[in-house]
Amino acid sequence: MRLIEATLSGFRNLAEARLSFSPGVNVFTGANGQGKTNLLEALNYPALGRSFRGARDEELIGFGADAARVVVEAETEGGTVESYEYGLERGGGRRLRVAGEPVPRKADLVGRLATVVYDPQTVTLVRGAPDGRRRYLDQGLCGLDHAYFVELQAYNRALKQKTSLLRDAAAGGRGRAGLRDDLRAWSDEMALHAAPLIRDRARYARELGPVAQDVLAGFTGRSATLEIVYAPGLEIAEKEAPAADLTREISSLLDYIGEAEIRRGRCLAGPHADDLALSLDGVDLRTFGSQGETRSVAIALKLAQGELVFRRRRIRPILFFDDIFSELDQERARRLQEATAQMHQVFIATARADDVAGWRPRDARRWAVEAGRITEAP
Amino acid sequence: MDHSAPATRHAARAREGGEFQSPSLERLVRALSRLPGLGRKSATRIALDLLREDAASPHELAESLAEARANVRHCGRCGAITEADPCAICTSPSREPHQLCVVASPVDVLPFEKAGFYRGRYFVLGRLLSPLDGVRAEDLPFARLAARVEQDGIGEMILALDASVEGEATSLYIQRMFSGRDLRLSRLATGIPVGGALAYTDEATLHRAFQFRRDF
Repeated sequence: MRLIEATLSGFRNLAEARLSFSPGVNVFTGANGQGKTNLLEALNYPALGRSFRGARDEELIGFGADAARVVVEAETEGGTVESYEYGLERGGGRRLRVAGEPVPRKADLVGRLATVVYDPQTVTLVRGAPDGRRRYLDQGLCGLDHAYFVELQAYNRALKQKTSLLRDAAAGGRGRAGLRDDLRAWSDEMALHAAPLIRDRARYARELGPVAQDVLAGFTGRSATLEIVYAPGLEIAEKEAPAADLTREISSLLDYIGEAEIRRGRCLAGPHADDLALSLDGVDLRTFGSQGETRSVAIALKLAQGELVFRRRRIRPILFFDDIFSELDQERARRLQEATAQMHQVFIATARADDVAGWRPRDARRWAVEAGRITEAP
Repeated sequence: MDHSAPATRHAARAREGGEFQSPSLERLVRALSRLPGLGRKSATRIALDLLREDAASPHELAESLAEARANVRHCGRCGAITEADPCAICTSPSREPHQLCVVASPVDVLPFEKAGFYRGRYFVLGRLLSPLDGVRAEDLPFARLAARVEQDGIGEMILALDASVEGEATSLYIQRMFSGRDLRLSRLATGIPVGGALAYTDEATLHRAFQFRRDF
């Protein structure tokens, strides 16, 4: 996939702009706070229907502007050009259109504009809390299969309902009468949607391992054994068993811990407590990885995610690099740039022009970003 | 009353949190805006329309409201909306007495009756399990449902609850309630609408239809 052009107005600090992109590499340089990341955020918004930095829609509207309006033209592998158009208004109004058709729900955007974002947060993927790794799994799987997204939403809703049941009971608002039966119904409902999540996550982790290992060797220039093991928040024997069997097993596990859940007043187990175990040459990266290793592995994990999108859907996702080259040594940065630019359209925001100066693929375009103004460099 | 002032100006004032200079009109608007799905803007438009000089008498509306309030009730056996208790469906000798269709709300009976293929009887739960809204099993008429199954010797129960997380959890609760009993329990299928174009079916529905595909 690639972006062809974009028109922006009223987005954060960015001045009105109309940009045409290179199918290869697009570099935006400028000092911190000038708007480089804002631009990547604007271009990536239609992929998720929200900011990749986790900002609220209202924060994306420029100071003094009534609304932010952005149109992004993208071309798919098959040569179809689709426009992604969104308008965000003060007070929460939002309009999203794909190819001229209104898209009322974010759910309908999932998996359409395929992108992978690398930003300074990416490095926390390896060393940070498990929720970052769960988000990584979810993003990867949602980009592959819409059904996963539907199951995830249902699971999260059931989890919220069950949590509310347990919390209210613990607070003593309602009696204990019948509580166990209520809990069983919600545990059964959770199990129904947990089963496909567990199966898909286990399969994904298994496919991801060898791909991430190759990618890592490719840009670090040395081979090491990278192991990615799915560590579910429930002790399941056969994670990829048929759905009905898996559902039954999860139901009985949840039933078994029901009394403990009532005592503690919260949900104690389920895919919401899943993690990925990551090790390099047998060393657990989550606790013992060096700075350099964890950074490289985090980037490899993200790249591998893009590779799996390609293998499954024959789509090359668009890559967004927000200020990550300063975190890598020059040799690794150069290898990474070369490896990605061959196959993907790439958008790079960097404060240090030096980081990408030595790298001049034929079809690159460069811009300078200063106080929200984006001007193309000759 | 003078209706020449554009409704939009009233609406604009309403947006600003302003009130009408007529306390009676203000009271009417407030009463209307308490109705489900009506904001102050829509309530104002309806109120002004009711007060138009050439409008059908608002007394008719008031009378029908009072009459409905006095006569409409829920059937004591199935929970459907009726004026006679027990309702015509529960007392009809031509309905299959051993087949029971469980629905969430009284309005869910209507599509079945309109279609006319179903000849059994109903049981309305009134709501679905939802701890987030403070609804637990003891708030649903499950004891009455169990008694009904016992008394009428129900042999088949069809769960026709929403295809939502809450609808599913409620179905699962009922499933556990009657597990091990000599009762045929089924749930409505979900899938592609009849006459619907495959290309316009949303992914979630398509996935369900695929998951629960049938031998052919």
